[in-house]
Amino acid sequence: MRIHTYEKLWLVAALVLIVGFIATITYGSVGLGISMIDDSEETLSPDEINDDERFGEPRVEQVGENEYEAYVVAQTFIFQPDPIEVPANSRVTFYVTSRDVIHGFAVVGTNTNTMVIPGEVSTLTVEFDEPDEYGIVCNEYCGDFHHTMEGQLTVVPEAEFDMTELEAEADDEVELGDETTVTATVENGALNDLETTATFEIGDQTVEEDVTVAGQDTEELAFTVDSTELGEGDHDWTVTVDDHEESGTLTVVEDLEGEDETGADTDGANGTDEDAEAGDTDA
Amino acid sequence: MRNTFVDAYPDQARFIRRVFATSFTAFAVGAFFGLIQALHRTDILRVVESPTYYTVLTGHGVFLVLSFTIFFLVGVYQWAVTDSLERRPVDMRFTWGWYGLMVLGTLLAAFAILAGFVESIDVSANTLFTFYAPLQGHPIFYVGLVLFVVGTWLAGADWFRSWLAWKGEHPGERIPLPTFMVLTTMIMWYISSIGVAVAILAFILPWSLGIVDSINPTLTRTLFWYFGHPVVYFWLLPAYLLWYILLPKLSGGRLFSDPLARVVFILFILLSTPVGIHHQYLDPGIAEGFKFIVMTNTMFLLLPSFLTAFTVVASMEHGARQRGGTGYVGWLRALPWREPAFTGMALAGLVFAFGGFTGIVNAGMNINYLVHNSLWVPGHIHTQVGTASALTFMAGSYWLVPQLTGNRLVGRSIGLVQVLLWFIGIVFMTNSMYRGGLVGIPRRTAEPQYEGFQYEVAAGSVGELNAQLAIGGILLFISAMLFLALMLLTLFNRDSEPVDNRTIPAPLSGPEDSPAVLDNLKLWAAIAAVLVLLAYTIPLASIVTRGGLFGPDIGPFPVTIEGSGSIELVRMGLEFALETVSR
Repeated sequence: MRIHTYEKLWLVAALVLIVGFIATITYGSVGLGISMIDDSEETLSPDEINDDERFGEPRVEQVGENEYEAYVVAQTFIFQPDPIEVPANSRVTFYVTSRDVIHGFAVVGTNTNTMVIPGEVSTLTVEFDEPDEYGIVCNEYCGDFHHTMEGQLTVVPEAEFDMTELEAEADDEVELGDETTVTATVENGALNDLETTATFEIGDQTVEEDVTVAGQDTEELAFTVDSTELGEGDHDWTVTVDDHEESGTLTVVEDLEGEDETGADTDGANGTDEDAEAGDTDA
Repeated sequence: MRNTFVDAYPDQARFIRRVFATSFTAFAVGAFFGLIQALHRTDILRVVESPTYYTVLTGHGVFLVLSFTIFFLVGVYQWAVTDSLERRPVDMRFTWGWYGLMVLGTLLAAFAILAGFVESIDVSANTLFTFYAPLQGHPIFYVGLVLFVVGTWLAGADWFRSWLAWKGEHPGERIPLPTFMVLTTMIMWYISSIGVAVAILAFILPWSLGIVDSINPTLTRTLFWYFGHPVVYFWLLPAYLLWYILLPKLSGGRLFSDPLARVVFILFILLSTPVGIHHQYLDPGIAEGFKFIVMTNTMFLLLPSFLTAFTVVASMEHGARQRGGTGYVGWLRALPWREPAFTGMALAGLVFAFGGFTGIVNAGMNINYLVHNSLWVPGHIHTQVGTASALTFMAGSYWLVPQLTGNRLVGRSIGLVQVLLWFIGIVFMTNSMYRGGLVGIPRRTAEPQYEGFQYEVAAGSVGELNAQLAIGGILLFISAMLFLALMLLTLFNRDSEPVDNRTIPAPLSGPEDSPAVLDNLKLWAAIAAVLVLLAYTIPLASIVTRGGLFGPDIGPFPVTIEGSGSIELVRMGLEFALETVSR
């Protein structure tokens, strides 16, 4: 075949350029460690998401010192959890799956970007150095309101990041003279032990209790309330652990005829109570 | 004496005129939809509700990248085969038959899409042109697409038939270059369009009719992209044909090298298909190794385009020197810049070269993270199919339509303004798209304005990007309308002089300079098939093993209205047809 000399030179130059491109990309993958989204995760049917250990409750979990995993579920037209909160100076692996159609998961202005396909789990590991706020968008058309599908990613300063959760439970009413208990549950999502103080306040009373919650464990605290000291009426209470606060109102009544307590005794009594209450309301 | 195509082959000219009219109708609708989108996205003017934007977007995609481009392709290829083999099709009824089938397919798909605007019709297909399951359109949409593709298959069969008939009459001769280009394109198309045919016929259509309940979204998506990358070459190769065949003549010279043109088209047969997974770099469920393999294949696919750049520029230089041009770059001034056919193609080539480099960015699998599904991607598409192909088609029409009608082109200088407007419009619009993509503005969305965050634009602002996008879109629309007006006026122009001669000058280096093995189409088809098997067997097997043929219980998500009686109707019709056939 007859090829012009210049054309031969051009051909060689083009091939060198092509091989050069391949070499730089290979260096980027192997040398810099920018790996591709791949098939390393097991498949997960959308039906099984609710019962799944990771995606049943979409959340961020600590798995090592400065290492976190975020389990994210995309569905028309939201991301869960939202916002996603992670600490600065951390390494976060996102696991993302879809409940319905194909979505995208892209942290705006960064190269954190993946397709989200129902039945599959995408994983990508990202390092966050500085505190910042990012938007997350679905960048694959997913239906009528695709353009409303967004979320937030907040990288908070390490010191402000906490994975503590507080819940409190208490009766609404108590009979004058009885005791009741307010139960607080402190959950520590972090790996390290949490040493802190729980504060319970009701009326003028304040109770403080030191508590140590082991890593990824929960502790229950019980605060006993003597209704005699409070006296009849409504009393607001709060439980505080670090920046978390739970509150409620306890009503002390003279004669407790709550449905739960008397209703369980006899049907007849229950019926009478309801009638009586109905009568009261009408009056 | 006048010697135009219509003088030599009046019935062929009539056929191609009809095909072009279909192509340009689709172009008109698609361009109008594009204008609506440019103004909607940027929140300058919203004439539709945002959910309806996706109906517009689906139409824009289907009408432009399937109807406009592929109808133009079959028109140009019909011209190329007829003109270079100097013979009519074996049976003209068959030729009209495949055209009819393509039109029918287009009308069905268009009905399914456009019905989305009308609430009283329970049909829609807001799936965009990629129709990723589990998004589900109306079955008529998929039936239309299948008929359209089958029509193109028959068109290819028609051209092969013409060639075989010619071969019988010309034993031992080399395949004329234009016909060679047509046949190689069609081999690529046969190999690649199997993917979309299987995706629709085996999975998506039965699923949309409710015959099967579930689907494997990764499988149908992979089959789509098996077809979805070669289809871009199906848009591009008719432009290549015009650059190789027509542009040297318009420049005043002749093609530099016939052998290298053949090599280029063979490279497209070999490399176009085993690269589709590069559209799925960010898909879960596909191993990194497969992505790496397609990345290398994709990079080698640059080679035919580099070779084309050389040959086309060398041919232009030769033409310019024939016209008296001198100097290292001074010859550029001797080119016929006043001819819209020439200038349009030259600008299209320039934009294509730039767009090619943005394509390299997309193909770099790790940089792809930054641009994937961002506005960068439609920026790339609009420089490539939206300019390299579309502008070349328009420029080519300024020469071809007079050949097909025997009428002088009306408004040559307006034509020049038209191609320049397109160039300026695309520069504004894609500049905005590329830059917007880099700051994270997503593609395919009605409202890229979000509540929770602001884009951080390093230089300029989102407002400035929006203004550029809208100005670009408006200029492109004006340019498209100018083009269509000139075509219409030319069609009815009574003035028949002067029209250029239909003859294409022989290349400087002819087919005799190349080994005959280049014309062994069976060999290249076989090698291409082996490469496809190598690239796709293991990934497809792995996808099916992971998710099952019909997926891990993934139900439909109709973007058409539920409980649709018309789906029942289509299903009954198909069952009836199948029964009739099986008897």
